[in-house]
Amino acid sequence: MNTNGNAYTVIYSTIIVVLVAAILAYASMALKPKQDANAKAETISQMLTAAQFYSKEECSSMGNDKVLEAYSKNIKSAFAINAQGQKIRDLSTDVNKIELIDNLKAQDNNIRGKKDVELPVYIFTKDGKDVTVVPCYGAGLWGPIWGYLAFSQDDKTFVGAYFDHASETPGLGAKIKDDPSFRAEFVGKAADYNASPIFSIVKGGAPKDQQNAIDAITGATMTSKGLSAAIDTWLAAYKPYLSNNGSAPAMTSAQPADTTAAPADTADIK
Amino acid sequence: MEENNTKQPGLFEKGGKLGWLHSTVDAFDTFLRVPGTVTKTGSHVRDSIDLKRILIIVVIALVPCALFGMWNVGHEHNVVMGTDWGFWRQFGFGFLKVLPLYLVSYIVGLAIEFMFAQICGEEVSEGYLVSGMLIPLIVPVDVPLWMLAIAVAFAVIFGKEVFGGTGMNFLNPALLARAFLFFSYPSKMSGSMCWIALKHGEALPDAVSGATPLSFLGECKDAVTPLTDHFSYMDMFLGTIPGSVGETSVIAILIGAVILLWTGIGSWKIMLSSVIGALFVGWLGNVSGATAVPAWTQLIMGGFLFGTVFMATDPVTSAQTETGKWIFGFLVGALCVTVRLFNPGYAEGMMLSILLMNTFAPLIDYCVTSAAISRRAKKAKLA
Amino acid sequence: MNANLKETILNPIFKGNPITVLVLGICSSLAVTVEMKGALVMALSVTIVTGLSSFVLSLLRNTIPNRVRIIVQLVVVALMVILVDQVLKAYAYGIDKQLSVYIGLIITNCIVMGRIEAFALGNKPIPSLLDGLANGVGYGLILIVVSFFRELFGSGTLFGLRIIPESFYAAGYMNNGLVILPPMALILIGCIIWIQRGIQKDLQEK
Repeated sequence: MNTNGNAYTVIYSTIIVVLVAAILAYASMALKPKQDANAKAETISQMLTAAQFYSKEECSSMGNDKVLEAYSKNIKSAFAINAQGQKIRDLSTDVNKIELIDNLKAQDNNIRGKKDVELPVYIFTKDGKDVTVVPCYGAGLWGPIWGYLAFSQDDKTFVGAYFDHASETPGLGAKIKDDPSFRAEFVGKAADYNASPIFSIVKGGAPKDQQNAIDAITGATMTSKGLSAAIDTWLAAYKPYLSNNGSAPAMTSAQPADTTAAPADTADIK
Repeated sequence: MEENNTKQPGLFEKGGKLGWLHSTVDAFDTFLRVPGTVTKTGSHVRDSIDLKRILIIVVIALVPCALFGMWNVGHEHNVVMGTDWGFWRQFGFGFLKVLPLYLVSYIVGLAIEFMFAQICGEEVSEGYLVSGMLIPLIVPVDVPLWMLAIAVAFAVIFGKEVFGGTGMNFLNPALLARAFLFFSYPSKMSGSMCWIALKHGEALPDAVSGATPLSFLGECKDAVTPLTDHFSYMDMFLGTIPGSVGETSVIAILIGAVILLWTGIGSWKIMLSSVIGALFVGWLGNVSGATAVPAWTQLIMGGFLFGTVFMATDPVTSAQTETGKWIFGFLVGALCVTVRLFNPGYAEGMMLSILLMNTFAPLIDYCVTSAAISRRAKKAKLA
Repeated sequence: MNANLKETILNPIFKGNPITVLVLGICSSLAVTVEMKGALVMALSVTIVTGLSSFVLSLLRNTIPNRVRIIVQLVVVALMVILVDQVLKAYAYGIDKQLSVYIGLIITNCIVMGRIEAFALGNKPIPSLLDGLANGVGYGLILIVVSFFRELFGSGTLFGLRIIPESFYAAGYMNNGLVILPPMALILIGCIIWIQRGIQKDLQEK
């Protein structure tokens, strides 16, 4: 058989490509649910760690199904809010179709660009009390950093936090994830929504009596700075919701908020 | 000693009874006296300045830095603790802190040199004398000794021996040791805590900062005050500031520089062009508004001057051609200040800029040489 | 088993090791050897991809049009790589995240295409399969050795289990950050090559 003819080459290539495409399509379809569950479980286990339900190690040894179950069992409500702190829509918490907002990067751009945002709020019940978990996202020294902050019932006091990063320096910036004592610093501290910054990570040690600040990681100035800015930016975005302790502000207060949004838009166009 | 060594000449020579020890014996034999060997082939012109003499002079040039560094270790300890011990106790404290660094540096470094020379059956080269003197001067005084030992071993094996020993290395071994420490144990090598020597069990008092001038550089975008609030220019010039042991005092380094220049061992071209390079980028930073710190301040902060005088001029790892030295030095200075101004991750750029230029030195020489060849070829054609 | 087949299997593992002798696949071996777990998964993935692609292409070797030979090879290798990636995403999510792009980049690993061109297209399927697998194992072996040292000295653990006791850290021991960075992997591979050439004198260049 002549394997070098034009017709043969075209037909041969077509068959190979179609065959490969079919195999890949099948594999992708068959594995998709499992992969989605993995991604969800990862995000949820970060939230559960922040809210101090389990440690990260416990979560990863539990397996996906258990993590999703734990989420469903402990969550009270999950919903998205807009920039004015009003609830836009509910997020499903049913164990079979858990809905999360995990496109933090896009939301971060929206916050900074003062565009429409859809910010997730997850309220868990722990020992009969509400624990509110919100995300944050920002730039570290070498790449993005993100995490989840857990507040107690007053929406101010931290009960915990969890952070992750793409490529911070091992042993320095990477401590935001690896060093439990850094995360433990958050516990008991509180955000101050009337102050600016709302919360900060202070190089060289925060004053002991200051409630809304913690010590930076020694030698990781830039990562600490980035994390400080990320937390401050995101808490500012959540301020209308969190500073009112979860009760959505009345419609009247939404009106001036809209007018303040208008010049910001024109600034963007400029 | 002389007598002993000449009595039984055959004993330690190649083929002799203890011939396998010949490297080791030879190293001690020639340490303090010029060997009586006569050149057997080729040209017979010999200068009394041999490698050992050069190295001894560099070591002497480093002594002021080392002595000042020892005193400053005690002085900074006093500043942070709010006490005053007086000169001799400060010096004694620093001496006892720095001495172990020297012991570790020389014992580990020379042991490896001897081992490799013994294995390869070559003469032990004295190159490590200077590296061993430099290493304790460019590390934080509080660096744990075992870390220093590993760094020295790494630098000697991978910086020198794998390339064929002294004279064949393309990276400065002392800087390689520092780079190893810097990347291996960053928390011990950066931040504001590591530059102050503490007694066992002591902790830095709260709200006292042992930060170096360079760590304030990032805050000086609009005004110099964040820097000058902490350190006066005089402090930086005298060297009574926190930093690596030998790098702080401009005066001590200048004494060393004079010795090197007077004896003709250090290249004035590299030193001068490095200073020009640093001033140039510092000036660009001022003009572009990247920093408010005057360009000349860059010269007296951190390890710039120490690196320029003692490390960029290393005859083995710097450029060899005369034009190449100008280019090499300029880029060292320029890169150093560039890293300081524009990379928030690394406060000090001198180590990285010298190491980077070390790798480029052969390329610079190649370009200079081939440019000269083509220029002459053109001339020859015209004539 | 005849001597030829034995040679096919043993050669890539030591004497003709793809990393230390052919110096192929260096990029990924620097990137994925921070932890043994990741290195092991990467080694398995590469072994499966080289083995199966060699096998499939050896089956097809008499039917492939010469003009689109490389493209057909690429398509088959890509298929294997994507399948491995998808399976890992579904069943080993954590490790897949850690290996990130390097699973996908197996396709650019010179070992895969190199063995197909050099061996699979001229040999029967079973020897081709063995050759592919053996090359993957040779690659994996170096990965495991390098990651052993990097994880032990960089994190104090092996396969995530603590090896260096807490008392060492209390006494002032610290993990070495440079070992975690890629340059140290290159130096380690250099040391392995050094040792191997010390043993196998015929590899030394004059």
